[in-house]
Amino acid sequence: MSQQVTQDVVAVKQNEDYCSSCSICSSLCPYEALKKDAETGKILLDIEKCQVCGLCYSTCPARAIDILYYDLDSLITYLERAKQEYDGDTLVIMCRGSAPDFGGVESLFGVSKFIPLLVPCVGRIPEEIYFNAILMGIKKINVLACDEDYCRYDRGSPVTGRKILALNLLLNQLGYGQEVITLKRHSLKVKADTNLCIACGNCVFYCPYDAAKLESPGGINFDLTACRGCGLCVAMCPAIALDLENWEKERISTLIAKLSSEMELPKILVFRCQWAVFPPLNGELLPNIGFIDLPCAARIDDSHILEAFQKGIDGVLIAACLEEECKQKKASGKAQHSVVALSKRLSQIGFQDRLHFCTVAPRYPEEFNRELEQFRKRIEAIYSKERR
Amino acid sequence: MIVTTPKPLDELLDFISSYTNILIAGCDGCTQPPRGLREAKTLSQLLELGGKLRNKNLAFKVTTVAKQCDTYLAASILKPQINGVEAVLALGCGIGAQTLAEIFPELPVFPAQNTHFMGAEDREGGILEERCVGCGDCLLAVTGGICPVARCSKGLLNGACGGSKEDKCELNPEKDCAWILIYERLKKLDKLELLKEFRPPRDYQLKGWKVTP
Repeated sequence: MSQQVTQDVVAVKQNEDYCSSCSICSSLCPYEALKKDAETGKILLDIEKCQVCGLCYSTCPARAIDILYYDLDSLITYLERAKQEYDGDTLVIMCRGSAPDFGGVESLFGVSKFIPLLVPCVGRIPEEIYFNAILMGIKKINVLACDEDYCRYDRGSPVTGRKILALNLLLNQLGYGQEVITLKRHSLKVKADTNLCIACGNCVFYCPYDAAKLESPGGINFDLTACRGCGLCVAMCPAIALDLENWEKERISTLIAKLSSEMELPKILVFRCQWAVFPPLNGELLPNIGFIDLPCAARIDDSHILEAFQKGIDGVLIAACLEEECKQKKASGKAQHSVVALSKRLSQIGFQDRLHFCTVAPRYPEEFNRELEQFRKRIEAIYSKERR
Repeated sequence: MIVTTPKPLDELLDFISSYTNILIAGCDGCTQPPRGLREAKTLSQLLELGGKLRNKNLAFKVTTVAKQCDTYLAASILKPQINGVEAVLALGCGIGAQTLAEIFPELPVFPAQNTHFMGAEDREGGILEERCVGCGDCLLAVTGGICPVARCSKGLLNGACGGSKEDKCELNPEKDCAWILIYERLKKLDKLELLKEFRPPRDYQLKGWKVTP
């Protein structure tokens, strides 16, 4: 086992030959994974603490950090391809953590035709990408970052704000005009249908941020400044009275139906927490595997899992963060609890082994690939047995 | 709250094996977690999937009642939805299921849950424990707010029995000794003298089977 771990591909590497020990990375790293050694003055990377936010990659002046996801090359390749595909000259860079659907983006920025670039945290986008985009003929760049206190990586959103301020000044001096890059901030928030609320208090119990308050009389009340939009209360509400603004239940249902209709047999649906597994930019073309990237595994709802099975999906895999690394105060552990309970009930009706919950970390991308491969084999075995 | 656990789904599938149109009635009342609209919907999805594997197409209507044990409330919500329904699955406690059977004398009503006791949740561990047996003669005032009838395995009124080991019950080492809890609590309240008062045997007639509130 330990041998397997050491051979694993690591998502972030530090190139000591280039590192000038300037400490920018260690001052920004939200997880203290990069630290200056007091004796040698060298910057040391502790990969076990790293959450692959990419802030160090995007800010290192010496390019001494190598990153596996959304590096310069893959971002440029994506932009070149996407520019053809979406045929537009407006780019919208969004953090997946708070991005609404494309309809929501339209109304936020007032653009109807745009090239979308979805990343986990916009803080990981290096300056070069903005310049490259403009060189490609993109006229306007809109950036949708999370509200500063909502940023899952703590510093990704504030750093982006400062970066864009500087870039706009520079672009103006170069003659590209003012405000080429527009920054907007956004967060997902819970919304309650008080007509459906039964005042049971489950949301008060589950909310990791004490945003839910239940008064008697008075009913449920959410402090939206405290809500961090994890969606745990939505998944746990016994009355189906809650939803996540801009990530409504219908959006997930529509995705399930769409994916299921396009997939080959046996169909495998993967719900991924976007902080646990980073979706590759340049496509994953697996004919029988569909992916739904959620802003937190806590948003996994029993009814969506069952809906998938009802739509003909053969197996459902859920990939979440390790409980202690959950960006939403251990919400991942609660999600696991309810998935395990559902999986027990599924085995009572003859659907055993078709629902699996795993915890993975983006710093070891092969962990997820291994889990997916094992699950795929399991489902294919069940499928071929059934057909016989 | 009334503590219930879901019945195994294969048992429910057996109950409804000779029916096609089924109404699942949730209850938003005192069970924890409330088995309301979500559980009614989840149950319908699970049973539909289970039915398919058994080559049976089941059709469900799902609904919920604020309090299933309230005859008037349950009737007013459920009666308008009963057209075409062949059987009812009740997601309330045993009282809820009996109330529905009374409202729909012509329909089979099946319990979707097992009802255990009146209890409270240790929310951290998700465990529910019995707290009240409904004895009809509440003595919490003299036992520091801890009920020995419900929580002492022997139901002693003048405990402790002397068998407790490391503050746990001699009959079940996982269970706290109720009388040690009572002693500690009374000590904190500086009311240990209450333990010296003799409590006569309970009058079981006080429990009753019928009362006028």
